[in-house]
Amino acid sequence: MAEQKKLQPDLAFVKGVMEAGGDTVNKCYQCATCSVVCPLSTDESPFPRKEMLWAQWGLASKVAGDADVWLCHQCGDCTKYCPRGARPGDVLGAIRANAIKYYATPRALADMLGTSGGMWGAVVAAAVLWFIVAAIWAQITGEAFPFPEGSIEFHKYLSVIPIDAVMLPIVGLISFVCYKAITAFWADISEGANMPRSFNGTYPTPPLGILVSNYIVPAVKEIIAHERFKKCGQTAERTKGHQWVLIAFIILFIVTIIVMVYADILGGLLGMEGFHTPLALWNPVKIAANIGAFLLIAGIWMIKSMRDAKTEEGVLKSSQQDWNLIWLIFAVGVTGVGAEIFRLVGIKLIAYPVYTLHLACVLILFLSLPYTKFAHLIYRTTAYVHEKWAQDVRAGKAGFGLEKPVGTDEH
Amino acid sequence: MSKNIGVYIYTGDGIKEAVDIDKLIEVATSEMSASVAKADDNLYSPAGIEMVKKDVETEGLNAVVIAGVSPRYEFDGFKFDGVYVEKVGMRELVVWSHKIADDDENADTKKEHVQELAEDYIRMAVTRAQKAEMPVPDKMENPSDRILVIGGGITGMTAAIEAAEAGYKAMIVEREAQLGGFAAKLRKQVPLGPDYSSLAPRVADELISKVNSNPNIEVKLATEIARIANVPGEYRVSLKDAGTKSEWDAPVPLTDEEKLDENGNELSAEDQKKKYDEKNEGRQEYTEVDPNAEVFGAVVVASGWKPYVPQEGEFERLSWGNPNVVTNVQFEELAKNGKIVRPSDGKEVKSVAFIQSPGGKDDDADFPYASHVTNLVSLKQAKYVREDYPEDGKAYIFYQHMRTPGQYEYFYKGLQDDAGIYLTKGAVTEVKDNGQGGLNVSVENTLLGDSISVDVDMVVLATGMVPTTRDEAVVNLAYRQGPAFKELELFGGYCDSNFICFPYETRRTGIYAAGGVHRSMTIEEAIEDAAGAALKAIQCLKAASEGHAVHPRTWDHDYPDFYFQRCTQCKRCTEECPFGALDDDEKGTPKPNPTRCRRCGTCMGACPERIIGFKDYNIDVIGSMIKAIEVPDDDEDKLRMVVFACENDAYPCLDMAAAKGYWWSPLVRVIPVRCLGSVNVAWIKDAMSSGMDGALLLGCRFGDDYQCHFVKGSELANRRMENVAETLNSLGMEPERVKLAQVAIDEYDKVPEIINNFVDEVMAMGPNPFKGW
Repeated sequence: MAEQKKLQPDLAFVKGVMEAGGDTVNKCYQCATCSVVCPLSTDESPFPRKEMLWAQWGLASKVAGDADVWLCHQCGDCTKYCPRGARPGDVLGAIRANAIKYYATPRALADMLGTSGGMWGAVVAAAVLWFIVAAIWAQITGEAFPFPEGSIEFHKYLSVIPIDAVMLPIVGLISFVCYKAITAFWADISEGANMPRSFNGTYPTPPLGILVSNYIVPAVKEIIAHERFKKCGQTAERTKGHQWVLIAFIILFIVTIIVMVYADILGGLLGMEGFHTPLALWNPVKIAANIGAFLLIAGIWMIKSMRDAKTEEGVLKSSQQDWNLIWLIFAVGVTGVGAEIFRLVGIKLIAYPVYTLHLACVLILFLSLPYTKFAHLIYRTTAYVHEKWAQDVRAGKAGFGLEKPVGTDEH
Repeated sequence: MSKNIGVYIYTGDGIKEAVDIDKLIEVATSEMSASVAKADDNLYSPAGIEMVKKDVETEGLNAVVIAGVSPRYEFDGFKFDGVYVEKVGMRELVVWSHKIADDDENADTKKEHVQELAEDYIRMAVTRAQKAEMPVPDKMENPSDRILVIGGGITGMTAAIEAAEAGYKAMIVEREAQLGGFAAKLRKQVPLGPDYSSLAPRVADELISKVNSNPNIEVKLATEIARIANVPGEYRVSLKDAGTKSEWDAPVPLTDEEKLDENGNELSAEDQKKKYDEKNEGRQEYTEVDPNAEVFGAVVVASGWKPYVPQEGEFERLSWGNPNVVTNVQFEELAKNGKIVRPSDGKEVKSVAFIQSPGGKDDDADFPYASHVTNLVSLKQAKYVREDYPEDGKAYIFYQHMRTPGQYEYFYKGLQDDAGIYLTKGAVTEVKDNGQGGLNVSVENTLLGDSISVDVDMVVLATGMVPTTRDEAVVNLAYRQGPAFKELELFGGYCDSNFICFPYETRRTGIYAAGGVHRSMTIEEAIEDAAGAALKAIQCLKAASEGHAVHPRTWDHDYPDFYFQRCTQCKRCTEECPFGALDDDEKGTPKPNPTRCRRCGTCMGACPERIIGFKDYNIDVIGSMIKAIEVPDDDEDKLRMVVFACENDAYPCLDMAAAKGYWWSPLVRVIPVRCLGSVNVAWIKDAMSSGMDGALLLGCRFGDDYQCHFVKGSELANRRMENVAETLNSLGMEPERVKLAQVAIDEYDKVPEIINNFVDEVMAMGPNPFKGW
C-alpha cells in the first residue's frame, strides 16, 4: 500500500486564501486547463492545478513547500482560459501573499503593512521619526530647524550620519528577518520537492561559492533579463515596466552605495574635503541616479496602467497588497525627484518636507521587504535558485559525492 | 364484398422515366381488373385529389390504390368515407432504389427487371385492396375517467394533481400511514430551480396540502393493491389494508421450474393445476370478479424506491456495521432530527466523509443502484454538516464519479464554493476505527497527488435507490400472464419496457410508470416524470373510448379478430402476447381484451390454426399479396424473393436507403409488416409454394438490448424460424432460403447490403426446386 499522508485540512487557511484575493479557489474542478495553457509551467511539476486543489483542501504546509507558486508571474493566461472562472492566477497571487505572511517575523508587522492604512500610517510615523531625528540632529549641528539657513542642502537637515544611524539597524533587522525566512522557505520547498536528506535529516545545500556562481548568478541574470516574464501571455506588456523598475532599483542601490562611500566614509568618517552632497547635476553618479529615478517612476506607472487595464479586462484581479506596493514605489520615486526639483528651484518650505517624506517612504519600502508583496523579490529569487539546484540534484550533478542522490529514483 | 378499385399512379419524381406507365395501367385494368387506372404527374396536388374524389363519386369506387410516394409520408388528401386506401411506395421501392446509369451496359436488362418490379407492386397493392376490409373500431362505452395512482410520494402526488387538474379523478393508494414518501422525510432538499447555491425547503409539504385540498383526488392511506383486474378503461381494483392478506390477492402462475417434477419432466396438466391451487390457496381465480372492486380507467405506478441497505458483513472494507458508518438515508434521518450527532456517543459531528464508490482500487463502480441522485444527496448532506457547524465543520466527498447533470451542475458549483467541503476523486481503500471514537478513511489515487487519510466523526455511504418493482409485483394484475411486469431484470428491476422509444409505457397497456420506480430520479425529475405518466394515462382513457390503439399504433382502429370455432386451445397466443392482452378460460380458449392490445399481431404470427387476423392485415390478405407476385418459372436470372420488413425500423430504413440512392436487387418484393412477431409461417409456405426462391425477414434487434417496438416480436420471429427451417428441410429445401436479419432504423447504409447478400446466397442455391409446380 502506498504511503498515506494523514491530512488535516485547515479551514482557516482556505478562508485566508479566499480573503487575500483567491475567493474563486473553490470553483476549480481540476480539469488542468490552467497547467496546459501556462507558458511557464514545467512538465516535471506542472502548475497551477495542484496548487488549486491544495488550497481548496486547506493544506497549508503543502502549499508552503511549493516553490512553483513563485515561478508564476501572474500573467493571467490560466485565469483567461479557466472554464469555471476559478481564476488560478489570482489564487496563486493570494497564496503568495499568504506565504509572505507565513514566513514573516513578526507576523504582526506583515499584517499591519498588509493593509493600506497600516502602510501609509507607517509612512507617516516614519516621517515623524525623521522629523524628530532631524530636530535632535539640529541640536548637534546647530543648524536652524526645521528649515536650515542658506542654500538648500539636505545634509544640513539630516546628514548621512543620522540617516545611517536609523537605516543601518533597520537594514540589519531586515537582513536577519529575510535570512530566517529564506532558510525556512528553502527547507520547506526542499521537502516539497522531495529532495534527498542527509543522514542528520537536513537538506543539502551547495557551499557558498558554488551557490553564488552556479545558482544565484544565473538566477539573477535570468531575473534581470526577465526571460520568464516575457513568456507571459496575457500580460506580456507588463514586462517592460517591471524590468524598468527592477533596473531602477539596481541603479539606485548602486548609487546609494557610491554616495554612502563618498559622503559617509570619505566625507564623513575620514573628513575629506569636497566629498559631500549634493552632487553636481553633471556628476555621472547624479546622472545615473536621475536616470534611475526616471526609470522607477516611468516603470511603476506602466505597471499601474497595465494593472488598471487588465483588471478592467478581467484577466487580473489586483489586491490591496498589489496597489500598496505600486503606490509606495511611486511615492518613493516622486518624493525623491520632488525633493531634488524643489531643492534646485529653491523652495525651502516644500523641499525639506518632501525630503522628509522621501526618507519615510524609503524607510518603509526597506522595512516592507520581508513583509509585503515586495517580498516576492526574495522568494521568487530563492525559488529560481532552488529550482536550478533541485534540477542538478535530481540529475546527480550536485557533486559532493552524491552522484546518485538517495531517494530520487523512487519518486 | 366485391371491390370496385381505382388505381392512381404518380408519375413525378422520375417515376415515368424509369418505368413504362402504360404497361402498369394495363396490368391494373386488364390483369387485376381495376375499374379505373390513371397516371398523373401531380397526383398529390389539389387537382389530383379532386380527380380521385370525382372517380370515387362517379365510378362508385370503394377501394383506391395510390402508387407513388412511400406510405410513411403523412398525407391525408386521399381520405374518403368508406373507401379503403392502399398506398404503395413506388417511388422509393422501385425507382429511387433502382436508378440505372445512362452508360450502364446492362441498362436494358436492368430496365426490364425494374419494370417487372413495378408491375408486381401494382399487383400486390391491388390484391391487398381487394382483400382488405375497413376496420370498425371497438369503442368502449363509458370508460372510467378515474386514474389510480399507486404510491403517495412526490411522484404519485404530482401525477394525481396533474390528472385532477386536467379534469380527471384520481385516487392515491399509499401503503404508509401518511403521504409524502421519502421527500417528506428530508431535512431539506436539492433545489428545484435557481437559486442553486443553497438548499431548498421540502416541496413535499406543499404537495400534500395541494392533494388534500383537491376535491378530485381521493387518498387511501395504509392501503395496498390486492389485485387489478380487467382492462384499461375499466380496471377493477381490489384494495386491502396494508400488510394484510386478502382473498382478492392476485394469483401467481407457476414458473417454468415449478411446472417440472423433480426429474425435470413436465408435470401433467392436472398436477400443474394442483400445484397452482396449492400455491394460490385462499386466493380467488384471476378471472373471478370482485363485486366490491373500485373501477379505474388507467393506472400510474409511482411506488418509488426503497433504500439499499447493505447486508451484515457487506462492505467490510468500509466498516459497515460500525455505528458511525451509516447510509445516506440513515444520515438524513439523523439530520432531520436536529443537529447531527454521532450515533455511538452523541458527540457533535464536526467531520463527515461521504463515500460514493465502495470498490477500492479494484473497481470504480458506485454502490448498487447509485446514480446522480446519490451524488447530489451527498453534496446536499455535506451542506448539512456545514450548516450545523459553520465554523469548523468539514465534509469530505470521495468519489469515482460525480454526476450532476443539467442544471444540477450549478448546485455542484454552489456547494463547491463552501470552504469546508472537500472533494476529490479517489479510491477509498479502507475505513477503520481510529481509536478515538471516530473513523479513519484511507483514499488512494486522489487528485491531490497522494494517497491520503483523514480522521472523521462519521462515514456516510452513498447507497442507491432500489426500485420497488425489483422485489414486488406492485400492480398485482389479475392477468393470465401473472401479477407482475415481465422481464424487469433486463432493466435492473426498474419498471420499464423501452426507455428510449416509450418513456412511460410498461409492458401492460394502461399502466404507466413514473418516478423512482422508473429510474433513479431527483425530486425535480420525478415531478416532471409524474406529469408525463399522468398524461399518458389520460391518453389511454381517450384511446379506449375512441377504440384505437395506444402508442406506437395510436391511429390504428383495428383490433385482432378470433375465429374461435377453429381454436385448438394451444395457448400460444396467450403465452406469447408481449403485453399480456389475452386472458383465457379454463379450457384455454383465449379471451381478447382489445383495450389491452397494441395491435402488433404477435398473436396472429403465433397461431398455427391461422384463426387470428385484422381486417386489413391477416393471413389471407398478405398471403394473397404474395401469391399475386408473378414468378417466372423458367428464367434462372429472374428469381423472386419476398422481404417481410418491419414497419417500425426496417421499412423506414429502406425508404432512407432509397432516398440516398442505394441500390438493392430488383428481385425482391417488399411487404411491410406490423412487427416480425406477426409474420405467420403460413406466409413463408405461401411464398415457397408459389415458386418463390427465398424469404427474408427484416426486423428490429432482439435480446437484452432489444429495439423491438413490441418488445418480443422479433425475438419470437427468430424462434419460429426454427420451425420454418424444419419445414423447409422436410420439403427437401435448403433452410437458408429463409433468413432473419436485424436492422436498426439508422442502418440505411447496411440494409441494401443485407438484401443483396441474401439474394446472392439464394442465387447460389439456384431456383426453388418446386418452381412451376
